[in-house]
Amino acid sequence: MKNRLRVLRAERGWSQADLATRLEVSRQSVNAIETGRFDPSLPLAFKLARIFETTIEAIFNEELAPK
Amino acid sequence: MHFCNRHLSPLQRRAVQSLGACLGLTAGCSMVARDVFEQHHPSTTVIYLLAALTTLPVVGIVTIVGRYLARETDEFVRVMVVQSILWGLGITFVVDTFLGSLWPYPELFKLIPILNIDLFCVSVGFAIRIQMWRNR
Repeated sequence: MKNRLRVLRAERGWSQADLATRLEVSRQSVNAIETGRFDPSLPLAFKLARIFETTIEAIFNEELAPK
Repeated sequence: MHFCNRHLSPLQRRAVQSLGACLGLTAGCSMVARDVFEQHHPSTTVIYLLAALTTLPVVGIVTIVGRYLARETDEFVRVMVVQSILWGLGITFVVDTFLGSLWPYPELFKLIPILNIDLFCVSVGFAIRIQMWRNR
């Protein structure tokens, strides 16, 4: 799933480690989510939305299947 | 919370230390049992008791891994560990099948008997390392 995590993080000048601390997860988790290798659970997605003061839909976009 | 040697969480450190102790116990128990079987020719009851004794550290390893997974709060790390366990199981099955197929040919089978649980744990360790490298 595509996401705007890197952009949102960069806007706030946070490193992956900074965001990981806020989320209480490992930096590898943030990296895996950012690169789309790992889709977070709903509770973690809500936590991300809360941290960035936005909605889950504003962070994650459902990838369209290739036609 | 990081997942590398230098920055293990207390939970991860405890699990790794307990696993190391259990691995040592597994190897120790197996060596003692083998020595008793070969040197002292025990009765059938003692053989069964010793064989059961060697399984206790394995039960310990399964329990430690289960408790660790239940308590790990980082869902990505949890998924990574579960995937590594699957890799470990796969590697153990493949090596077991290979060695099992050589069993009827003792002249070919001169390898030191490999403890499945040790092979499994080492495989899981390597798999975790590779996954950490992929997600560095």
